Amino acid sequence: MMYGIKRIAKYLLGTDIAGRQIAVRPDDTFIVSYPRSGNTWTRFLIANLLYADRRVTFANIERLIPDAEAQSNRYLKRVPGPRVIKSHQYFDHRYPRVLYVTRDPRDVALSYYNFSRKYRHIADDFPLEQYVHEFVNGTLMSSAWGTWGENVGTWIAARNGWSDFLLLRYEDMSERTEHELTKVALFFGLDPAPEKLRKAIENSSADRLRELESKEGGAWVTTKDKRSDIPFIGSAVAGKWKSKLPAASVAEIENAWGPLMTSLGYELAQPTPADPLLRDSSHLEPTLQTAHTSEKRG
Amino acid sequence: MIKRLIHTTKRVLGLTSPGRYFDVFEDDTFIVSFPKSGNTWTRFLIANLLHPEEPATFSNIDRLIPESEGLTRSQLKRVPRPRIMKSHEYFDPRFRKVIYIVRDARDVALSQFHFYRKRRRIADDYPLEKFVTRFVAGDTSDYGSWGDNVASWLVTRQSSAGFLLLRYEDMVAHTVTELTRIAEFLGVNVTPERLAQAVERSSADQMRKLEGANATASVTKNTRQDIPFVRAAASGVWKDNLPERSVAELESAWAPLMKWLGYELALVKAVASDARVESAAPGVSAR
Repeated sequence: MMYGIKRIAKYLLGTDIAGRQIAVRPDDTFIVSYPRSGNTWTRFLIANLLYADRRVTFANIERLIPDAEAQSNRYLKRVPGPRVIKSHQYFDHRYPRVLYVTRDPRDVALSYYNFSRKYRHIADDFPLEQYVHEFVNGTLMSSAWGTWGENVGTWIAARNGWSDFLLLRYEDMSERTEHELTKVALFFGLDPAPEKLRKAIENSSADRLRELESKEGGAWVTTKDKRSDIPFIGSAVAGKWKSKLPAASVAEIENAWGPLMTSLGYELAQPTPADPLLRDSSHLEPTLQTAHTSEKRG
Repeated sequence: MIKRLIHTTKRVLGLTSPGRYFDVFEDDTFIVSFPKSGNTWTRFLIANLLHPEEPATFSNIDRLIPESEGLTRSQLKRVPRPRIMKSHEYFDPRFRKVIYIVRDARDVALSQFHFYRKRRRIADDYPLEKFVTRFVAGDTSDYGSWGDNVASWLVTRQSSAGFLLLRYEDMVAHTVTELTRIAEFLGVNVTPERLAQAVERSSADQMRKLEGANATASVTKNTRQDIPFVRAAASGVWKDNLPERSVAELESAWAPLMKWLGYELALVKAVASDARVESAAPGVSAR
């Protein structure tokens, strides 16, 4: 008879997490990525660009660039527009402007594994191979956002090439931060002056974020009450999977998303099998290839 | 605030429709398509196939093959499982088993134009060209654009065992063959007689008769009766009825996707990397 009393009470009070049911405004911009793909770093970079006169910390980031997955609609309603909002959702046609950050799924899986141990979603000795298997098949808690392939694939298939959609690769951001941040600044209509970019980069460095986490991690909504021996800010490097991920797990990820990975410029460790998958996704290649060429490193 | 209280009370009692935020079960099967792509017909075909004892009509279809937006939470909870449900949603990761129907975007645009006139959502003399521009931008429905909807499903599920892709055009041309594929996908064993009966009970003529007899059913309630819900039920109508400019607009928005699905482009020349797209096309139409 009663349909989720707790949920109803929260709804009545307006304290339920916005998530997919967020009320979208026409002047919103979303920073979207699959979890563990550099969203927090991007959030800090953008907050430091937008609020150059302020000290951006874990204590005020929820006010500057709120997290749709951690805040309620009631909270988000009070954020003055134009809002910049963080999200992990798979394609949502209502998002008017989207900056999408993608990261090599082999690194995402590894980072997610450590993150899930931190959050005690899995036991400390949970086998990595088993974790990757579930990661690929969408049986983890994270599958509420779709699998990696579903999240990245739906956004790219629907929006790539649009002027209101900026696709960034975490790997490019790590390697040439200033160059990528110039695109971000222009996307937000900000002045991409090198000294401004450099200051934002310095204020968002992995070292500084680690320092902030150790001081303020206990209070930030995302890390509060979580194990503090495993940091939220991970190693912040690309390609770690090469030494840490078992070959079977690499193969499983590549078998699931090979064509999508290739089109994003993530080189496969094993030669792509002559499988129907590759042939079947060719209808997306024109879109994806345009994307990659325009994003390709110079 | 009062409005919110009334709505909340209704919600607690399960009297509101959950819309797109309803609970999905693992054993649910969904008949998904962009609006005006033959979903209602497919719904009738499947209902008639699975329930030979109760011919589908516009008044029992919401019970036989429900849609989340047409029922309240408490009604939805009472639907016996495993459920077969209708939906127009673009990709939703919770849908594990999906029959996806795609139809030529040029016919869909035309069909939606007439449907909105019937629903009085646009004026009777609303310019068709203007409508198509909005259609391409995804402004005419709450389910993304045609391209958003189709591509989001194809990119995620096309090679998955729990996904059956059907083209409305093939269903019109080879109804029995396509319905057999649906039966196999649903894991039901049916005799040729039962297949034939389901096709006959769901024919456009039959459905037009049912629509006439049941003008107050939920799909057609409060709409203009002079424009039928069950319309031409043919493919390629756009060729005679869609202005050239609109055809070009639709084709340039979704050329690779349309070509891959086997919808020949009339105006827009193939894009550069189309050689591969072309070679992939038989994968869809060849059985």
